[in-house]
Amino acid sequence: MKNRLKVLRAERDWNQQDLADALGVSRQSVNAIETGKYDPSLPLAFRIADLFGLKIEEIFLRD
Amino acid sequence: MNVSDNRSGSALHPAIWALAFTLGMAITGYLERYAGVGRTGAIVLMALSSLFLIPMIRSVQARADAKGVNSPALKIYNRRFMIWTFGYMIALTIAITAYQKLELTGALLWLAAALPALPVFGMIWTMGRYVREEADEYLRLRAIYAALAATGLLLAIATAWGFLEMFGAVPHVPSWAAFPIWAIGLGAGQCWQGFRA
Repeated sequence: MKNRLKVLRAERDWNQQDLADALGVSRQSVNAIETGKYDPSLPLAFRIADLFGLKIEEIFLRD
Repeated sequence: MNVSDNRSGSALHPAIWALAFTLGMAITGYLERYAGVGRTGAIVLMALSSLFLIPMIRSVQARADAKGVNSPALKIYNRRFMIWTFGYMIALTIAITAYQKLELTGALLWLAAALPALPVFGMIWTMGRYVREEADEYLRLRAIYAALAATGLLLAIATAWGFLEMFGAVPHVPSWAAFPIWAIGLGAGQCWQGFRA
């Protein structure tokens, strides 16, 4: 699934580790989600959305 | 913090320590059989070789930190697994020594024979606990995929070996070999996913 994580992260000048720390996951998890290799569960998607103050569909895009 | 900072001061590659451990065990076996080191000497050498497992685990942790694939649950898993590994070596030594020195029969024989299996049960429990305790869903999924790959490898090898053995093409392998083969598959599965990530 495509997503805007990398852009949103860059807008806030966060690196992957910063985002990982904020979400309480590993940096490898952030990398896997960002590159579309792993689709997060709904709870994690909500946590990501809450962190950026956006709706899930504003971050994760349909293929 | 820059992730590359984690690499500073990291130990040698885990494979180096694993090789040192394997060589130590192999040399111990050779010395006991051909150089008359004796059982006590062999146990001491085996214990010394086992010390290589400590830097190996630390090196694994350092690399996992550097790659961003470490978690509190993984650290607990590694610590528990190391404890069970040492427990296994102690149990195996006690069982073999008791079998060779004492003329065990009946319940005592059963107890000595089953003793090395108990720490292995602990290792299996440790793996199960890790899946339950891992809060990072991606790392948990990777562990489950690796376990499935290991199970597939074990089933394939056991099935093929069984037929080869039935036709006399290969020697008999004791069934306790199942766990080390599965563990090798688990490691290979994790490496493969790390390579693809």
